[in-house]
Amino acid sequence: MIQTVRVINKNENEDLRGKGILSELASTKVSNVRSVRVYRLEGVSPTLADKLAQKLLSEDINQAYALNKPVINGGQKVEIAYKPGVMNPEVASIIKAARDLGIKLMAADASWEYYFYGKTKKEEIVSLAQQLNLLNQTVEYIVDDEPKTLLIKPSKGHTAIIPLRKMSEEELMTLSKDKLFLNLEEMKVVQNYFQKMRRDPTDCELETLAQTWSEHCAHKTFKAELIVDGKKKEPLIKRLQKEALKHDKNIVSAFVDNSGVLEFYDGMSICGKVETHNSPSAIEPYGGAMTGSGGVFRDILGTGLGGKTIASTDMFCFAPVDLKPDNLPPGCLPPEYLLKRVVTGVRDYGNRMGIPTNNGSVHFHPDFRAKPTIIVGAYGTIPTRKAKKRKAKVGEIVVAIGGKTGRDGIHGATFSSGEMSHRTISVNSSAVQIGNAIEEKRMFDALIEARDLDLIASIQDCGAGGFSSAIGEMGETIGVKVDLAKAPLKYQGLSPWEIWISESQERMVVAVDKTKLKKFIVLCDKYNVETAVLGKFDGSKKLRVYYGKELVCNLDMKFLHHGLPQRTMTARRPENKTLELINQSSLSLPPKQESRKKYWIHDQVGDENKTRAGTGNLLSEQEWVKILQQVVSHGNVCSKEPIIRQYDHTVQGTNVMPPFAGLSLQGPMDAAVVRPLLNKPYGMIISHGLNPVLNNFDAYLGSLWAGVEALANYVSVGGDYKQAGLINNYIWPFPDEESLWTLDRSVDAVVDIMKAFKIPVISGKDSLSSTYRGPEGEVIKIPPVLCMSVFGKIPDVSRTITTDFKQSGSAVYLIGQQDVKAMAGSVYAEVSGLNDSHVPTNDLQLLTKVFANIHHNIKTGSLLACHDISEGGLITTLFEMCVGGELGVAIDLSNKEQLDYSLFNETVGCFVVEVESKAKGEKLFKNIPHTFLGNTTMGQLISIKQNKKSVFHVEVEKLKKSWQKPMVSLFGTV
Amino acid sequence: MLVLHEPHPNPLLKGEGNRHIMKSKPKILILKTDGINCDEELSFAFSLAGGQPEYLHINELRKKPSRLLDYQILALAGGFSYGDDIASGKILAAEMTSFFSDTIQKFIQRKDTLTIGICNGFQVLVRTGLLPFAKVGSMDVTLANNNSGHLECRWIKLEIETNNTSPFLSNLGGKQVSYQVAHGEGRFFTDEKTLKKVEDENLVSLRYVDDKGKVTQSYPANPNGSLNSIAGITDPTGRIFGLMPHPERFVLKEQHPNWRRLNGEGPHGLPIFQNAVKYVKQA
Repeated sequence: MIQTVRVINKNENEDLRGKGILSELASTKVSNVRSVRVYRLEGVSPTLADKLAQKLLSEDINQAYALNKPVINGGQKVEIAYKPGVMNPEVASIIKAARDLGIKLMAADASWEYYFYGKTKKEEIVSLAQQLNLLNQTVEYIVDDEPKTLLIKPSKGHTAIIPLRKMSEEELMTLSKDKLFLNLEEMKVVQNYFQKMRRDPTDCELETLAQTWSEHCAHKTFKAELIVDGKKKEPLIKRLQKEALKHDKNIVSAFVDNSGVLEFYDGMSICGKVETHNSPSAIEPYGGAMTGSGGVFRDILGTGLGGKTIASTDMFCFAPVDLKPDNLPPGCLPPEYLLKRVVTGVRDYGNRMGIPTNNGSVHFHPDFRAKPTIIVGAYGTIPTRKAKKRKAKVGEIVVAIGGKTGRDGIHGATFSSGEMSHRTISVNSSAVQIGNAIEEKRMFDALIEARDLDLIASIQDCGAGGFSSAIGEMGETIGVKVDLAKAPLKYQGLSPWEIWISESQERMVVAVDKTKLKKFIVLCDKYNVETAVLGKFDGSKKLRVYYGKELVCNLDMKFLHHGLPQRTMTARRPENKTLELINQSSLSLPPKQESRKKYWIHDQVGDENKTRAGTGNLLSEQEWVKILQQVVSHGNVCSKEPIIRQYDHTVQGTNVMPPFAGLSLQGPMDAAVVRPLLNKPYGMIISHGLNPVLNNFDAYLGSLWAGVEALANYVSVGGDYKQAGLINNYIWPFPDEESLWTLDRSVDAVVDIMKAFKIPVISGKDSLSSTYRGPEGEVIKIPPVLCMSVFGKIPDVSRTITTDFKQSGSAVYLIGQQDVKAMAGSVYAEVSGLNDSHVPTNDLQLLTKVFANIHHNIKTGSLLACHDISEGGLITTLFEMCVGGELGVAIDLSNKEQLDYSLFNETVGCFVVEVESKAKGEKLFKNIPHTFLGNTTMGQLISIKQNKKSVFHVEVEKLKKSWQKPMVSLFGTV
Repeated sequence: MLVLHEPHPNPLLKGEGNRHIMKSKPKILILKTDGINCDEELSFAFSLAGGQPEYLHINELRKKPSRLLDYQILALAGGFSYGDDIASGKILAAEMTSFFSDTIQKFIQRKDTLTIGICNGFQVLVRTGLLPFAKVGSMDVTLANNNSGHLECRWIKLEIETNNTSPFLSNLGGKQVSYQVAHGEGRFFTDEKTLKKVEDENLVSLRYVDDKGKVTQSYPANPNGSLNSIAGITDPTGRIFGLMPHPERFVLKEQHPNWRRLNGEGPHGLPIFQNAVKYVKQA
């Protein structure tokens, strides 16, 4: 028997959820919306349920409740709950709190009811709820009939034998499709193995192989032998590693662990890892973003003998939020919904974990309409002596710790490796789940203490591939025996193979020495963390998985880990480069339709303006100001402050340069500076670079751009590039010959960056599934993205500077060499309709000098402010420095360049700096390219001259409004 | 007091830690449980102020509640205890009132003890009934959803009340300070009668003020829409103190986003912890 408690806010003005929905409704038929929290409690009497309602579930000050009846009259009701089987994180808390109050519940659930008032019919409400995205049908449903029980009925899982040996090629591929994601050659290798073994595989064995050999886990493309335009080339990963290890002075561990580790100070190291979470976020952005964060945080914990996660970063690419619904490919979710839900997911997970989100960016391009790019980074500290990966030893015990295992997240590894299609949502919904940050937080607390007490022999996180991946890797060289019947389950009925490869979140596997096992378990108990002894590393060199007494998987470790044939892949220069460009630009045009929400991408450029902009013939001051407003309000340039304010970016007290600072606290910073050890002056700097467009023009130059931008951000706050480590993430379309060719060029660029700056890449990941295939075979290639992240150390956090102008009358310089005529992919080109295919380039050797100069001058306290140039160009950089400092600037460009090119060009590796005087500036910068631009001024006015001739003036405040408007309109507040 | 030229430069930097000093340091209990996540900066703030903070998990305390009485300060840190499920701080409050009612009564009645709750800790203090009237098991005020509907992480200005005689605030009355808020449920709310009582008894400790230093209801200076701009309160003895903003995140100069512009100004959060340590040492 279920007791249902409904709780409502007494004052309807305080029903923010209801008010929020009402404000989003265009329909005038609805006059009011109320929200009601519903708790279902199973296994208690009405009297006890009433006690819980009073003491726990409602608060008399501002709430009312009702037991087993409605709490509000009238209206059309729709109730939205998690589907049975999807873990609702709140349930465990309700059961615990009831127990603390002396009441034992068998089961519980929590959901929301919405009451719509006005002239509406029931059917309309259901469709309204769907239009408003009140529910995500992947994980939630509309409750039509009240549930009779919340207990999920057990049904015994079983192991099937797959008659693989006799299958034809066609049958092999049918088996692989939508499930194993292996190609024919690989399927045949598997078939051959079992033919030799003279038996057919179990489903568990096939799933284990598919997971271990998935692109996501095995990086087949990066390891492949390459034939590029007919010439043999070394595998991508080899080229990266070879160059990286030449620059190993700070490397503690690279390429071999869950994160890359660099030497810090006083016996401590710092580590970093960046991941993508595109596929899950495309179909359930809230859960996808949460599990993305949770996973990358665990990568730090799973480093060495346990790292402590201390900071995170988030980089997103979406289609513009006013994308016309008709332009949305079938099976894809609208960008506004994706953006809002991803932000909410990152917020809810990071904030609950108490891990500050310190750095990030959001980019927009129409080609992300088929699949967003969601990149999450995590950084941590670890004592150097515990920073090396250790494989498990014979006799050590396999302990699973943390969350229970459920059916959620099945096939995540193989799914991430597949292309997105219009069928993705329905076929792969089990790949998505809702994270439970508190589960992860207490596990982190327990494991860090266990590490410090030397209780951990080896550790691995359960990411893609779950137990299969974690335990399989730990026992790779020695063999392991486990019993899945010992794994704690969320509900009964899972087949052994499902338990084995489930990607349920918040789990880790730890190898523990026999003598320390008891102590380890007691410690975990203290933190309310569940442990389960699953088996033992046994020296058999086999992977033997049991379910009770039944052997469900028996594979040679050697075959599992080394049986995958190395691929040979061919790459070919796209034949008709022009054709590619035409496709690109036709897609990148801003949507033409007049959206209901006009705020979004700037007002359209009038045709007349369009012809004049980009030719350098902008005449009137108004035209200049208008185009400038369009540039600063572009999605890639506009202020992201309303997003940042929802992330707790200073928890732990370690942040000494937040994302926004300056007098107004609204000036954007280039990188995060954190003080990992509060009682020491040492700093860690974290930055990144990413361009969503340029790789479509030229993957080599576009990738250089991303790398240089990341380093420029790092240097701009006071970082010493010589101490930096790089993390490279490739988010690329499915590697057909042409995409592989551009990927190869991107890797060449990264290798060249390492060579020029003499610094290593120490970690990275590839996600080669940015291709969408529609119902009629149409293909959308999501823009290839290289996200370059940089992190490293500085001895003293006080030797850093911010971007905001500090005082009036200072000298303002442009440092570095602009490639002025190259305007491809710039925001200005997009808003003005300028057609250029030249990607700005850098002289890397010169850049090393520029970076060293900037670093030196910050270290010695010679600069007052520094901000690097990126999207939006020089003028945007100047504007942002004015915003932070609440000052103005008067500029006179004494050159013969076309002025709009000078102001909007996006060559990276250039900086705007503020110094006390021109005399001082000339001295400081004499050995590097520098241009005196003008002076800071008291009034908040930007005034631009060229060769002493006034061109235009604009108030900082006016631009600031345009710059803040897009995200304020989306997220409500600054 | 606030404009201090770093009278207490970070002692940990100087490798301080002499045994004889350790002995005289008051013991501070920082209660840990699932989802508490501001414990390290809180611990750091107390040690910087000369205290001796120790973590204790609530499961250990449940085994032997009297351990609470070994301490002089009970500190409830920020975070999301038990995920803030149902309501923020609710589940931890239920646990504390179920298992430690008597011990807490004993603890707070001792004049040499202090209790502080920051952010989630404040939410717990309110939901246990310890604030504002030190009545365990009742609930007289609440911290409801921010009017903005979501978490707000920003630096805001506050004024410390002159009429509140709490030991935490000695010599600070009338000062204006910058702290950070980072919460989604911080809107102080109660009925008119209780509000009047809270005001009449001078239990308000801090209020949100605007740029010009005036008490404000307007967003975002008042980040959540609290009644009477209330950011923190104490019980009538002043020995129980709860606040939404985070003084523990401003105990080093560099923790302020504009520390490069704060000439000679000391960290605004530190005096709260120095006051607390000083009080229990002398009590």
